[in-house]
Amino acid sequence: MGYKIGLDLGSTAIKMVLVKNNEITWSRKVPTAPGQEALAMELVKGAVSECGLTEADIDQITATGYGKKLMTAAGLTVDEISANAHGLHLLSEGRCRTIINIGGQDLKVININENGRIADFKMNDKCAAGTGRFFEQVARILDTPLETFGELSLKADEPLELNSTCVVFAESEIVSLLAKGVPKERIIKGLHHSVARRITHLLGTRYASKEGDIYLDGGPSQNKGLLEALEDELLMEVKVLPNPQFTVAFGATLSVN
Amino acid sequence: MNIGQQENRQGRLIKKIFDRFTDEAAQEVNLLKSRPDFRPELEYFVDLLAAGRDPATIANRTGRKVVALMCLQAPLELFHVYGLQPFKIFGGTMVAQRLSAPQLPAIMCPMLRSALGELHLDLAGRNGEKFLAWVAPTTCDWVVKIKDMMEVCGVKEDPPFHRLELPHLKDRDESQERWLEEIYLLKTFLSELTGIKKIKRQDLANSMRLYQKTWHVFSRLIDLKRQGFAPLVWFMVITNSFFFDDVEKWSAAVEKALPLFTERPKNGPNVFLAGSPIFFPNLKMLHLLEEAGLNVVMDDLCSSERIFPGAVFCDDLSEHGLLKALAQRYHQGCLCPTFSDNDRRINNIIAPAHKDLYQGVVFHVLKGCHPFDLESLTLESRLKDLGFKFIKLETDYTSEDSQTLLTRLEAYRSSLVN
Repeated sequence: MGYKIGLDLGSTAIKMVLVKNNEITWSRKVPTAPGQEALAMELVKGAVSECGLTEADIDQITATGYGKKLMTAAGLTVDEISANAHGLHLLSEGRCRTIINIGGQDLKVININENGRIADFKMNDKCAAGTGRFFEQVARILDTPLETFGELSLKADEPLELNSTCVVFAESEIVSLLAKGVPKERIIKGLHHSVARRITHLLGTRYASKEGDIYLDGGPSQNKGLLEALEDELLMEVKVLPNPQFTVAFGATLSVN
Repeated sequence: MNIGQQENRQGRLIKKIFDRFTDEAAQEVNLLKSRPDFRPELEYFVDLLAAGRDPATIANRTGRKVVALMCLQAPLELFHVYGLQPFKIFGGTMVAQRLSAPQLPAIMCPMLRSALGELHLDLAGRNGEKFLAWVAPTTCDWVVKIKDMMEVCGVKEDPPFHRLELPHLKDRDESQERWLEEIYLLKTFLSELTGIKKIKRQDLANSMRLYQKTWHVFSRLIDLKRQGFAPLVWFMVITNSFFFDDVEKWSAAVEKALPLFTERPKNGPNVFLAGSPIFFPNLKMLHLLEEAGLNVVMDDLCSSERIFPGAVFCDDLSEHGLLKALAQRYHQGCLCPTFSDNDRRINNIIAPAHKDLYQGVVFHVLKGCHPFDLESLTLESRLKDLGFKFIKLETDYTSEDSQTLLTRLEAYRSSLVN
């Protein structure tokens, strides 16, 4: 008894956490594919089995993310922006005031108050520029694993000035740069700065946190090159928690409170 | 491809689009009629919208020749007294844009792009009836250029086209005098159009009284919305259909529908919906607002609460006095964002927040609708400085962004209730 499950059904990955007493005891993610509910239920079964639990031990399943309404097994659903706010508030021990979340197909900037409630937020419009999908596409064009982007970016001295964060137009720009012999490291660093500028614009002056901390989360937040570029553009320290992909799923379990 | 082949291809395209256009409208009609709060009294309004907006249909229904109106600053009472049916051009269908989009800028008001596409469908037409004339107050850039765009899009209708030059500074005496001159020019235009050389002063006063009476009924509907009894979806179905029938019949139908709105929605919080117009069958945003649990109690959309600017009262019953009263009401009383000195519009949105009539503003911008887009910056800043909540949602007529819009609205709701 006393376990809660948070499921974040995102556009690129389904993330699940098992929580007891506000502590994550188990977490896992799988890529999003058709049959999201079945994939999510596999995660649930995996957690129950690996942790030696029975279904009776689970008090509540809460779903969030774009696929939340597909989860018929979920007793509750919560929007991912609120879940993100709740999750980061608790995990940052109340220090977070601004969240930059990079998801598979969206960018979010969320201001939260001292109680972890949403004060304000902004999201990108119908454009995948600078999102997780953008990074995936660039990795394909560069024929370079996404996991190595951070390391490669840090090796470059100066970022290349890139014009486009558009998934479509970045391709022609990158192909042209590669043809000119520009090293991948500089291109990747340039991309990180380009995305960081986009986030800075989204953040705007009103969102710049005067007190409290700024946190980056979502899958791409593990990219140290992006983090460096973001700090450089914002001229502020940006923090990243361990396992930043699970913040939203964790927050979903708290939202019922 | 020779001209014959081109015409044949265009004809086939129009037929194909017309079928899809009908489907798009039918889907929304089915959605509306399957709502648990649908009642027979609302069928009149849904059916008006479903029956289409071609001039022949409107003319047959009202028994009056139809004049297309591009914006709401031309006094409706003046059309009425000349025996004409004014019909404000709105475009609400996604699929109709396919007939106009190839000729138009990529980023353009989807409402007018759709309207231009729908004009093709009208002309491909059904009974061959055309609008008797076009009247275009020079409001936003898109409307200012509408005649050019009609030509570019191949809308081969060539009725008399009358522009009303709208002074964009409302509070200057010179502007008001200038606008009164425009109203006189409109009167001359309508006189020449109809062959009615002189209208009786009493007839104009009667026409104004008719619209006063309609406003009285409409304002009761607005009150019901303010109190949370009239759901926005039905409110907007009613207002969207305003130009589709004779004003007296429409008014009578509204009066009949008023007693339906007795139940307050369980959910909240209350919000003010501002921004670009929303028009049938593209009611996407209204359904999303409901799904997110936001209760729209006020709005300032020109397809909704601002569909006509209110009753015109006048002490000076001379013809000049009546025309002057109309000119003032339709110019100074207009809250379109196209005006430059428009603090009244911003204050109109902010003032009710001070009285706790709503908890936040949802600002709807159609991509390419520049006046609203620009104005949203001022409004956001003013509201947030006062500690009120604001969200801007930019969208178009596609449905692909529904999920992301819903996510924002749900989160916005959370921010309002916490």
